[in-house]
Amino acid sequence: MKVVTGVIGNDIHVVANRLMDLSLNARGYEVFNLGVNTYLEEFFDAAVETGAEILLISSLNGEAEGWGREVKLLKAKYKSLDNLTMMIGGNLTVGSGNAEDIVPRFKNYGFDLVCHQVDLNTGLDMLEEYMRENKHS
Amino acid sequence: MSSTSETNTKSQNNENLLIDIGSTYFKVSTPDSIEQHFRDFNKLILDDLMHKCGNTIERFDAKDIRICSSANGGLSALIIGLTQSYSLKYATNIAYNSGINIIDSIVFQNIEDYSIPSDLIDVVIVVGAIDSHGNVFDNRLSDYIAKLNYSNVVYVGNAKDASILESSVNRLVVLPNIIDNRLHIVEAPLKEYLTNLYQQDIEGKEDIKHLYDITGNQIFSTPFVVNKALPLLQTSFSITDPFILLDIGGATTDVHYSKDLVTDNIVTEHGHDRIVFKKLGVFKSRQSLIFTAEKNEYAYELLMHLKVTEKIYEEQSERATKILMQLAIFLVLCEMSHYRNSNVTLKLLSMNSIVFTGGITKVLKKEDIQTVVTFFYRKLLNSDHKPATVIDINYDIWTLGARQHATCQ
Repeated sequence: MKVVTGVIGNDIHVVANRLMDLSLNARGYEVFNLGVNTYLEEFFDAAVETGAEILLISSLNGEAEGWGREVKLLKAKYKSLDNLTMMIGGNLTVGSGNAEDIVPRFKNYGFDLVCHQVDLNTGLDMLEEYMRENKHS
Repeated sequence: MSSTSETNTKSQNNENLLIDIGSTYFKVSTPDSIEQHFRDFNKLILDDLMHKCGNTIERFDAKDIRICSSANGGLSALIIGLTQSYSLKYATNIAYNSGINIIDSIVFQNIEDYSIPSDLIDVVIVVGAIDSHGNVFDNRLSDYIAKLNYSNVVYVGNAKDASILESSVNRLVVLPNIIDNRLHIVEAPLKEYLTNLYQQDIEGKEDIKHLYDITGNQIFSTPFVVNKALPLLQTSFSITDPFILLDIGGATTDVHYSKDLVTDNIVTEHGHDRIVFKKLGVFKSRQSLIFTAEKNEYAYELLMHLKVTEKIYEEQSERATKILMQLAIFLVLCEMSHYRNSNVTLKLLSMNSIVFTGGITKVLKKEDIQTVVTFFYRKLLNSDHKPATVIDINYDIWTLGARQHATCQ
């Protein structure tokens, strides 16, 4: 299964991005890692060019909050991304934040899976379970 | 006796003679000197060249004469791709760096929203998706291409769609994908194809093909040759990276820029890219330059700053040419700044040097240029930033590129 991943916005947390890449590869995904400082449009464009089933965005400094608001609007411009699974993870707000507030907010932005301050492997387990339940049923 | 002596001179002197044929002038560079002449449009290029530089040319063997030209106006390309960030960006990058001018780029998913260009297109480039992805193009593509007036069409997209497109698009040339399976750019096959197309175009141009009477080498496009000089500029000039090189010509303006000036996802071997502003020139494109200036809200202020009025547009004088060149510098900087939404936005506040080459260096002095650059930074970027101005007064950059290109061949 193809996954496009990277760190959104003006965010240079490359270590987390590298760990994400390694973990996804270890789980058998075909990974297209766009690296740090990636704009939302580049994520969607990469999904179009690769035919990826999953878009996994990471964010560690609260950048996601601003960019997340653009997701629905921008994704609607693409005619071939209706079946794209959208996931976001990391520290999705400035400071610690509260997952009970943040998760529904990001789901409302258009993400299918939201992992705020969730351990990487736990998050990827959630992704696998989601794909099993929603994409192969 | 004279014939033997001439042969000896030619064989001993294994240096290259470099010739550049532009839209308004040509220049000829020997190892010792460089000369420039305005073209006489009542003569064939070769006749004009031989009339003005025949003695120099006859001193060299055909194998030692290297010619580049922008006189055929360059090739025009229309690019159809899947996305702006990858397929269109990669193809645009390769086309510009091969010396090709781009008339438009089309995002395939919205292809029915685009009008059909009326002009003859030299080459249509189709690109999209990595090889492990397919079925991204459908018959809307072949329907659109069938309506175009084109000379060549090349497919450099995913391998899976190639055979279907081959059967539905007339005269389609299929080359390897320019996007590899890691979403990285692959330049070589398309670059070689476009460079060869340029060659064929020259061979088909009645006026230019006669130049093959004096050279045994392939004629390349001038910007392609200038591009070869860019990595070497710091060896010959006091230039600090990142820099831009502006070649404001009679018909078009070429900008070569350090990649450090763009936030880009393209990883290529070379550190510089090129962009062309097709209708910004001070002779052939004079009217469109004036038209662009009239639409620019700051141009009037610049004219006041230069102590002239808009009446200068109607003048045919040296002073008017000088002002138009200053305007061209300003408009090009505007095009590449956040002020205009062009293909490339450069981080101009990070730019350390601005290099000028071409005919403009024979007309404008350093202070003429600096006053425009300072005006631009103050007005549009609200900054006192002053990149160092470097003027290539003797075409050393072109010579450097041509010699480097000759060495590599």
